[in-house]
Parts: sequence; structure tokens; C-alpha cells
Amino acid sequence: MKTTPTYGIMAEFDSASDLVAAARKTHEAGYRKIDAYSPFPVEELAEAIGFHKNGVPLVTLIGALIGGISGYLMQYWMAAISYPINVGGRPFHSWPAFIVVTFEMTILFGGIAAVFGMLALNGLPMPYHPVFNVPRFAMATKDRFFLIVFSSDPKYNPTDTRRFLEGLKPRSISEVPS
Amino acid sequence: MSAARTTNLDLSAPPVIQLIGRRSLYIGVVASVIAIALGFTNPQVFFRGYLVSYMDWLGICLGSMVILMVRHLTGGGWGMVIRRILGAAMRTVPLMAAFFIPIAVLGVPRLYPWAMPLESVQNPTVREHLEHNRFVMSGYLHWSGFIWRAIIYFAIWNLLSYLLTRWSKEQDTPPVRDNSLRFKAVSGPGIILYAFTISFAAIDWIMSLDPSWISTIYGLLFLAGELISALCFAVVIERILFRYKPMSELLRPDFVHDHGKFMLTFVMVWAYFSFSQWLIIWSGNLPEEITWYIRRLHGGWGGVGLFLVVFQFFVPFFLLLSRPLKRDITRLVWLAVWLICVRYIDLFWLIEPNFSTSFHVTWADLLIPFAMGGLWLAYFCRNLSSMPLLPAYDVFAKQVLEPKHE
Repeated sequence: MKTTPTYGIMAEFDSASDLVAAARKTHEAGYRKIDAYSPFPVEELAEAIGFHKNGVPLVTLIGALIGGISGYLMQYWMAAISYPINVGGRPFHSWPAFIVVTFEMTILFGGIAAVFGMLALNGLPMPYHPVFNVPRFAMATKDRFFLIVFSSDPKYNPTDTRRFLEGLKPRSISEVPS
Repeated sequence: MSAARTTNLDLSAPPVIQLIGRRSLYIGVVASVIAIALGFTNPQVFFRGYLVSYMDWLGICLGSMVILMVRHLTGGGWGMVIRRILGAAMRTVPLMAAFFIPIAVLGVPRLYPWAMPLESVQNPTVREHLEHNRFVMSGYLHWSGFIWRAIIYFAIWNLLSYLLTRWSKEQDTPPVRDNSLRFKAVSGPGIILYAFTISFAAIDWIMSLDPSWISTIYGLLFLAGELISALCFAVVIERILFRYKPMSELLRPDFVHDHGKFMLTFVMVWAYFSFSQWLIIWSGNLPEEITWYIRRLHGGWGGVGLFLVVFQFFVPFFLLLSRPLKRDITRLVWLAVWLICVRYIDLFWLIEPNFSTSFHVTWADLLIPFAMGGLWLAYFCRNLSSMPLLPAYDVFAKQVLEPKHE
């Protein structure tokens, strides 16, 4: 008989509050590679599983800076170097006129960087994910809340982790095959 | 989940508010006595400083009213938790109306060129303009029109404040009420009325200091500035209250985060309006428009203008991009204090260059904000103490009194 390696152990909860409480306890117990799923955004949840920072803001900032700087330089190059025209006696390098496009380029590149940075960092689109091997997990899009401890966690142990999760009084516990 | 909210929390304002009110009153009275005494020696300088200070405190009062109306239209815990702070600031409208009387009665001929004998108008551009367009002074800019229009503005602001307060007061006692439809019915038109009245008031009270110059976005500059002032003021008060019950139990990082986001938005809106006006006038480069900026960018005023660009936009903008800062009331409050101070410099830069081509600060600019502010704060603290910090019998009070998902 061939045994499939385990991806993790999943616990199912009835309410967002139960999930947040359970996630907090699991994190406090020393588990670090954990994740939680809910049908709607639960603001405390990210904090409860110890997920504090992600790279999207930095990617967005870099994108925005690139957009803004290149937008300004593009106009400077056109108006002052490549094709200088005298407009009402103003200097060729008239910064107030450049601000609007600079601003728009900042927003555009910031927005694009945010979307694609987010996709690159979270790995979407993702056609296969082991959690869907658990049939009950489909209810995560309706009214159930799930917490998973990954088998890659250094503290993970099939029996101990299962016992620990049972102590959190979940509705059900399933092993997630990978 | 039951609709009844039983809370063991005492929702009345902590005694520290009365203490602040008392101390503000002392400062206000002492500073007022000195300012009035000095005012007799130089009424011109007195009223110039008085006008700057007046617009500053009026901004906190009216801005609070608008943010409160926005809350009534949109709902949300961020507004519920500061609702009574905004309400207490809004209810200072009668005091602001009283503070306006000295301007209307004694200040007009000392401040506004259209109310002076033409030969005594200092600025040659303004004098010429008024000589060639005398209809302006008979048609719109005259003393009685100025007073009548002010009466209309204050009537509208007082009426809005009265209605919003009355219905809010009902929600302090059982039974649980849902007044949101009534609030909405007043707040929607109220915000529109505010946008018009503040525009007209800014034209009457500030723009007409230079009747030769017009800018169609001028009222919006005041609108955006007042929103910054009011939100920052609410953040400062919520920080003080956060040290004590009940606010220490009610204020969550999520709400503070929302207040920080509002600060960022209002700072950006102010910068957007200010830059729009600058870009249009700079592009047009017409003598009757650009003079306003030339006056404000030379003779030492330019440094003040640059200071505003950096410290009322760039620095707060980049700081407010930080999520941890926006969620931490103990740090956010310092930015709020800073912005309240910079708002005064902004008004100073808008108003004072009308009277002098070179930069100077008078005793009135430094003293009257404390005189008026002390009295205003005392009244505000009295208002804040007179009602609970949360309308416990509002259906939506649970947004704050109970955790989110239960």
C-alpha cells in the first residue's frame, strides 16, 4: 500500500471568533507554519496566525517611484531637450506643467505594480492546492472556518498536532493529503 | 444577537476633560484681556490676527460638523467612536457666531478695502480695480450685504448642529432607537449646504480682502483645510480620552487606522485643490490673477509657502503611507498636533500677505489664537462633558460596544 505524504492537519470551526481564538492558541503553542481560511475577511485573523508583513507595499512603492520619475524625465526630455518649444515665454523646463502627468504615471505604475506584485507574491493563479483534497473544505466559501497546521512546521507531529487541535474543540478534524 | 445593549461601562467623559476646560478658560481669559488691551493701541493689527485665528477655530468647528454628517451617511465604527467628540466641536457654532460679531461690527472698515474710503486703500492694484468697478461695492461687497449673508451662514450651521444634536441626544436613553433615516435626511442636503456656505463665506471673509482677484476653487481650499483641522482635532481628543475609561475600552486599532486613512485623504485633497489653483493661474499667467501668487511668493512669504508645501503635504503624506503609524494612536496624535499647527500657518499665509508685501508676524498673530482657542476649548470641553461619549441606545452603538463578529 502506498501512503501519500501528509500536507497538514485541518480543523473546522463554526464561527470567525472560534477560528481567531484557535489560531491565536495555535500560534502561541509555537506552531509557525499555519494558515486560516474564512468565507469573508476577518481582520484579526492575519495577526492571530502571526502574519504581519508582506512585500506588496514595497513593490507598490517601487513601482510608483519608477512611474513618477520616468514620467517626469520623459516630459523633461521632450520639452527641454528633444523638441523645445517656446510656450508663452516660459522656461523649457517648466515643472508645474509636468506635475499632472508625473502624478498620473505614479498612480498607473503603482497600481500595476500592486496587482502584479500581489499575484507574483501569493502565487496566483494556482490550479492545484492540497487543501481541496478535503471535501468539507468546500464549505470555506459558505459558512465554515478552517485552520491548518502544515506538515512542514518543525513542531509538526501527526499524533501530537492532532491531539492539540482536538483540544481546541473544532467541529471536525481532517488530515490533508498532498 | 439582541438589539438591547447592556453595557456596564460608564460612558460619561472622564474628569480630565473638565480640568482641560478649566485651564483653557484661564488661558483664554488672560490672553483675551491682554489681546483686547493691546487691540486698543492698534485695532488694525488686532483684527488681522483676529481674522486668521477666527478662520482657524471655525475650521475645527465646521469640519467636525461635516465629518459627523459623513458618518451619518456612511455609518461605520470609526465615526461612532468619535461621534460625540465631533458633536461637541460642532456645537461650538453659537460661540463662533458670537466671535464673528466683532469682525462684523468693528472689523469690516479696518480689514476690507471695499469698506474703506478708496483713497486710504494701500494696495494700488486693489484701489484701481475698485475705482473702475464701483458696481462691485454697491451690488455685493457692502456692509449690510456682508452682515446679512453671515446671518444666513450661521443660521444654516446652527440649524444643522441643532437637529443633529437633538436626535443624537434621544439615543442616550432607552429605548433603543434607529434615527439613521432622519440623520441621513439632514446630512445629505447638509453637506451640500456646507459646501456652498463655506465657499460663500470664504469669498466674503477672506477673498474679498483683495477684491481684484478671483479663484473659483478658493472655497474648496477652506473646505479641505477644515476637514484636516477637524479630523486632527478629533484624533488629539481621542488620544487624551484613550488614557481613561471608557475610551480605553472602545478605541480599537481598526478605528485609529480609519482616522489615519482620513488624515491621508484630506491632506491629499488639500494638496490637490491647492495645486489645481496654482497650476491654472500659473498657466494663464494673467496680470489680474498671478499677482496673488507674486505677492505670496516674494518678500519673505515665499518661504512660508514652501514650508506649507513640504510640511502640510509631503511630510505628512509620506509618513501617513505607513500602516503601523496609522494604527498607533500614541504616534498618530503627534502628526495630528503638527497638522493643526500647520493649518494655522496655512491660513496665516492666505490672509496676512493681503496686508503687507513683506513677511512679518505681529503680536496679534501669536496671542489671539490662544485667546480665542482657550475660550473655544473651554466651551468644547463643557459640550463634551454634557453628553455621554457614546450614544448607547443607538442601534449601531454595538459596532463599538461589542467586538465585530459575534
